[in-house]
Amino acid sequence: MAVTVVLVADDDADIRDLVAFKLEQSGLEVIAVEDGQAALEQARARRPTLAVLDVSMPGLSGIDVCRMLRAEPATAGMLIIMLTARVQEQDVEGGFSAGADDYVTKPFSPRELVSRIQALLSRARA
Amino acid sequence: MRRDPSVGRLLTRSFAVLVALIVCSGLTEMTTVLVQHRVVRELSTHVQPLELANARLRAVLGDAQRGLRGYLLTGDTQVLDTYLSARGEYTQASLNLLELATAAEEPAVDAQLVRADIWWALAEQQRRAPPRSDTAARFVTEGKPLFQAFVSENEAFDRTLARRVTTLQRRSSWLGGVTVVVVIVLTLVAAATAGVAALLTARRITRPLGAVAWVLDERGAGRLDARADTGRGPTEIRAVAAAVNAMADERERIRVAEGDVARLRSEVRELGYRIRAHLRVQDAISEAIRGLAATMNADHVLVRMAPGQTDVPQYASLGDEHVAGRLAPLAACDVGWLSGGDVWTTDDASPAGDVQPPVAEIRACAEAGAEAVLTVAVSVGEECLGALTLLRDHGPAFTPVDVRLVEVVAADLGRGVHLARLYEREQHLVARLQELDTAKTDFMSTVSHELRTPLTSIAGYVELLLDAEAGELNAPQAKMLDVIGRNTRRLRDLIEEMLILSKIESGAFSTSREPVELVSLVEHAVEVIAPAAAKAEVTLHTDVRGPLPLHADPDQLDRVLMNLLANAVKFTPGGGEVRVAARREGAEIVLVVADTGMGIPAGEQKALFTRFFRASNAVRQAVPGTGLGLAIVNTVVDNHDGRIEVESAEGAGTTFTIRLPAA
Repeated sequence: MAVTVVLVADDDADIRDLVAFKLEQSGLEVIAVEDGQAALEQARARRPTLAVLDVSMPGLSGIDVCRMLRAEPATAGMLIIMLTARVQEQDVEGGFSAGADDYVTKPFSPRELVSRIQALLSRARA
Repeated sequence: MRRDPSVGRLLTRSFAVLVALIVCSGLTEMTTVLVQHRVVRELSTHVQPLELANARLRAVLGDAQRGLRGYLLTGDTQVLDTYLSARGEYTQASLNLLELATAAEEPAVDAQLVRADIWWALAEQQRRAPPRSDTAARFVTEGKPLFQAFVSENEAFDRTLARRVTTLQRRSSWLGGVTVVVVIVLTLVAAATAGVAALLTARRITRPLGAVAWVLDERGAGRLDARADTGRGPTEIRAVAAAVNAMADERERIRVAEGDVARLRSEVRELGYRIRAHLRVQDAISEAIRGLAATMNADHVLVRMAPGQTDVPQYASLGDEHVAGRLAPLAACDVGWLSGGDVWTTDDASPAGDVQPPVAEIRACAEAGAEAVLTVAVSVGEECLGALTLLRDHGPAFTPVDVRLVEVVAADLGRGVHLARLYEREQHLVARLQELDTAKTDFMSTVSHELRTPLTSIAGYVELLLDAEAGELNAPQAKMLDVIGRNTRRLRDLIEEMLILSKIESGAFSTSREPVELVSLVEHAVEVIAPAAAKAEVTLHTDVRGPLPLHADPDQLDRVLMNLLANAVKFTPGGGEVRVAARREGAEIVLVVADTGMGIPAGEQKALFTRFFRASNAVRQAVPGTGLGLAIVNTVVDNHDGRIEVESAEGAGTTFTIRLPAA
């Protein structure tokens, strides 16, 4: 079984490293990028199975990236989890209407994030 | 009669006829009396003396004949004396008769006297004849026919006179009869004329007069359009009807004029309401200008504000004529000459008080070319805000009523401008406060976001370390990391609740009210808290009696329930119990959350709902908490027009009672 590739996009390097470290510990291959544009490019180039996108990034936001990925046939089926620092409902709704499969509110527990990712992956495989 | 239907004329004519009839009747009577008088006089002075004279003549002649014959037969001279005295009397009697006789009767009298004279001639011959002789006898025989001829003439004249008497008497009696008939007829005619005249007069006066009286009654009863008919009836009644109509028209005119004034008053009052209803100064002024132009028939309206009035347009006019139109010169004039309550109008010969505009103002009015100009000060109290000027191009002059009404509008405008200005200032203040509030909310949001990111890193790495992802930890290290983790969570909760409180206080949630059933909210909250309660070995009792309909924000109510239940479980030691009860009491829905926990010291209960307050006993026992939970509960209950009460005894437990208005 091939290694599952996960794209992690967050402008905060500490969180990016934290998520990458935890996911790699969980046996996933991680591509870490620091902005929306890079996320879009890597997603097109490497076709990861799942993307963890921070909502608020400079330039393209996580929601923009999510919407663009869903609009392209090649990446439309990608699993997407949004990371949001805001609890406002409109942000969550915005994420879902852009096509996200799930979201996690900051501050989050790395364990919780991993379990959500695995839940999504197993659901996708089933 | 129809051509001149005057009752006066009718009466005049009727009386003329009556007088004529009475005069005729009198004349008739008088004529009759005169005629009868003449008849009587003729009878007494002429005919009867004539009869007497005639009879005497005959008697005299008879006496003469008897005396003569006796003498001749007897020869007695004594008897002859009779003849002789008769002869003497004859002359007297014949003269008397001739004197009395008129020309018409003279032939008859003459004929008689001729016969008498013939007899007398024979009689003289006889007298000379010897008595008792043949001659005498012959003379007697001869004299007999002569005497007889005289007697027949005499008798004929007597008969003529008797006929004359009869004729006169008959004529007198006929005339009397005719007179009676004529007088009766005239009297009847006069009576009939008087009757007809009275009837006609009565009819021609009474009916039209009745009609006029009816019209007056109708008007009295409120039918103000009732008018008398001036085309019928006699001239006098027509005049009365015309007078009644003129009076009615005048009353109507006065009534209409009063109605006009009342209508103007009400229009002005409504204009005042509209002016004061405007919240923008500009709108209030425009409303006044439009309303005055229509209500007061003004061709131009100009509002000038006194210098130094802020937040008000300096000039405003109908059709913006002050910009480059006819009102430009007037707009250039300062209104400093007016003080609060002043009025000036072009037609006011003796202006009230000493209001006199400067020459420039009067010249500008003349340049505007209007016949009538009225300027009223727009004031609030004693302060003159500006001037309201109305111009009529072709008159009429402004009446005292107009001036009063415009003064009322000016006062309303003053108040309106004042209020609108206050309102606008308040609006600015509110807008600035809202901006500040938005800035605060944004700030809170940003701060919490900015805090969350580093918190995420701290919490995440602590978790990694504790999960031994970076290698095994020794006991002190693990304990220290545990402290870091606990304080990170505390910091996270603090940020979370501060954000929520900020949002709730800014009213961002209060718009999302909807019908809510408290029963299901309570059930859900109990379900969520149940694991924590079980873990802390606290028994949960629920006593909910539905239905409990509310009009509320379900998320906020859920937060209230969760905060209260979490607190109750948190502060209640193992083996204690937490009771949740909800029921309806009249128009209120009551929610009670009671625990058997540590309680709140009596002196601290007042400060319970203030932010960051934590009970001293909780702090002492190191029970975690932010001190914001009850502040949030209190704010939410406030937002829902409810009340919250607390009863607590230290060591025995705490009971929170919330009362909310039912939907």
